[in-house]
Amino acid sequence: MKRFIYALLCIIAMWWCFDRVGGLCMWWLNQHSQDTTSPKIKHIVEGISEDVILMGTSRCNGHYVPKIIQDTLGLSVYNAGVDGSDNIFAQYIVLSHILKHHTPRIVVLEVGNSFLSEEESAYMTTGYFAPYFGLNEKADSVYHLSGDYWLYRLSYLYRYNTKVLANITGQIRHCWDNAEQGYNPNPKPLHFPNLSRWQTEDFEINDEKKDYMCRFIRSCHERGVFLCFSISPSYSLVDSDYYTILKGMASAYNVPVLDYHTSGLYLNHPEYFKDASHLWDKGAKLYSSVFASDLKRLLNP
Amino acid sequence: MLFNSITFLLFFPTICVLYFCIPATRIQARNLFLLLASYYFYMNWEPAYALLLLTSTIVTYIAALGIGRFDEKRKKRLCLVSSLVLNLAILFLFKYYNFLASNIEWAIRASGLGMDIPEFSLLLPVGISFYTFQALGYSIDVYRGTTKVERDFPTYALFVSFFPQLVAGPIERSTNLLPQFKQRHSFNYEGAMAGIRLMVWGYFLKLVLADRCGLYVDSIFNHVDEHNGGSYLVASLLFPFQIYGDFAGYSFIAIGVARVLGFRLMENFRRPYFACTFGDFWRRWHISLSTWFKDYVYIPLGGNRVSSIRNYFNLLVTFIVSGIWHGANWTFFCWGTLHGVLLCIEKGLGINKQKYTGVKKLCHCAVTFVLVSYAWILFRSNNLSDFHTISMGLFTNMGIPYTQDVGWGVLCASFGAILLVVVKDLSVEYNWKIASLTTNHQILQYAYISFLIAAISLLGVFGNNQFIYFQF
Repeated sequence: MKRFIYALLCIIAMWWCFDRVGGLCMWWLNQHSQDTTSPKIKHIVEGISEDVILMGTSRCNGHYVPKIIQDTLGLSVYNAGVDGSDNIFAQYIVLSHILKHHTPRIVVLEVGNSFLSEEESAYMTTGYFAPYFGLNEKADSVYHLSGDYWLYRLSYLYRYNTKVLANITGQIRHCWDNAEQGYNPNPKPLHFPNLSRWQTEDFEINDEKKDYMCRFIRSCHERGVFLCFSISPSYSLVDSDYYTILKGMASAYNVPVLDYHTSGLYLNHPEYFKDASHLWDKGAKLYSSVFASDLKRLLNP
Repeated sequence: MLFNSITFLLFFPTICVLYFCIPATRIQARNLFLLLASYYFYMNWEPAYALLLLTSTIVTYIAALGIGRFDEKRKKRLCLVSSLVLNLAILFLFKYYNFLASNIEWAIRASGLGMDIPEFSLLLPVGISFYTFQALGYSIDVYRGTTKVERDFPTYALFVSFFPQLVAGPIERSTNLLPQFKQRHSFNYEGAMAGIRLMVWGYFLKLVLADRCGLYVDSIFNHVDEHNGGSYLVASLLFPFQIYGDFAGYSFIAIGVARVLGFRLMENFRRPYFACTFGDFWRRWHISLSTWFKDYVYIPLGGNRVSSIRNYFNLLVTFIVSGIWHGANWTFFCWGTLHGVLLCIEKGLGINKQKYTGVKKLCHCAVTFVLVSYAWILFRSNNLSDFHTISMGLFTNMGIPYTQDVGWGVLCASFGAILLVVVKDLSVEYNWKIASLTTNHQILQYAYISFLIAAISLLGVFGNNQFIYFQF
């Protein structure tokens, strides 16, 4: 038995060495990767200092052109939208990292129903932020919910589990070269999308997601940050009451909502869209100018 | 409780410590403890399923007592038939009834009559096919006189429910496992290290190989109409490794867990994709099931000691039954039939693995792999229509493989993991020196285990994914 315990200790010691050395290598790869999200997350965690921060999913990442909004508002703007982060947990992590070292004047959160829905992906993509685990207590609280907290504490390598392949390919493929102030334009599609209608569907609200949405709003209010929700256009004919639950929640907390999802400017205009729910660069530029004017009016009624 | 869950990683060391705390001389106490642990393990899925497990255990236990008690052959046979009928009836009700009912209903409607056959909304109990076959194997062995009647109920119940192999095999034989429950098992360093090595390799196969390949395979096979031949080809290349990683991974973990506790389970996989004939493939793939079918279906049908035509018939029947064992779906039926037909053709042509060496052997391995992989498409397809779409798409609709949601990264990682597994299996198959280094040299053995754990934490897919074979 003694021999076995000795063997186990040896294995643990060796694993610890592999894990720490491997973790350091992965950290280096992560910091030098030019994939679609790592440079943005690095900027969010370490160096964000803009007045206006735009947050959300790929619909934020590819819809808001900071330069256009900046010219209209006269304030510095950064697009902190992260592809695939369609849940409030990921957004809360982003906000916690930002608020740790900087207080922006305005935060715009591009919202979707998956932010609250019981059925949609819950902790998916929160792993994108795992390389920065341990730097921010509030952000780390999400990992308690996802069940990853102790695994991240235990293993450095596990923190790169989600991003390892992107970080390796990101050394060669420079997807970030076209990005400007966090905005990564979607390319013009080869074929414009077909029209399809989204039906309004009842969904159950996930209590944990609701709790984190409240935390998100409170964190902004406590720091005196002006918070605004936005819903950018969709090519599909979305029912007008599709976002009722989200709007109800915003109204309960006095959060203004800029809603363009049924705006006539974009419906039936496939030339602006990359697919049913994403604008390409041309559409994004048009939308950003409209959005910037409306945001300006909201700030200075 | 899944092997790839945190709960199991806490459960197993606790069981080990408590098991070895009970003195080795107290065999009954140890068996009772393992029996309770096994039922706790099984009840983690659904406590009610334990009743079925218990029913199957009691039925086969009593039947075996009856077989042992009576001298008259007719009465012995009655006991055996009762055991077979009761166990297979439970299996049929939970696994095949709805399938049969819907097919009969379809046939009746097709003939112009209107009739509803009621269906039950029953969930398939985890591992029911595995423990039912293991228990039936015992009944038949007792009837044939190849194993003694086990009169101690806790020991027999442990044989049916032993947690490492309860839900997905290996399907153990009473002649191998039952006697081990009567032996003293003192802690053994070499056994424990071998067990841990097998477990870690099993976890690597499951989490890095199978689940990584599964990300791509599922996205194609679950949305067949949206993809082209290029995507089908890549998915069809990945699935053989997904199912190997998934099932062999489970078996390695199961054998490893048992080995740490001091038990030796039978080998279930022996590098099946290095097989150069179909016969060879079935001697390497799911060995415990293929030998079960050989001993309890093929040989009783007459095996190969009959005319050629009857021999082909026996082969075909055995493989059709084996296909249906995997699930109540026409895809499994056709998959079993296809394997049966291929084996008959191989037998008819006199293809034998002993004949081939060098390049010829390599060519035969490649042909066997391609045909086995093609048959796997049937196995993985959700229905025959999907299989048809994929088969046609492979030859008529080639294009760039789909990568949008899963990304090239997933594909690269999948093929990287495949390469690693192939090299590792090659080293064992051809006795390369490096294979023996990790087992004979102590420090290298520790390094090998810790490296695999590090690789799993970096490249594994975590999310409590079910093992594919649990559904059978």
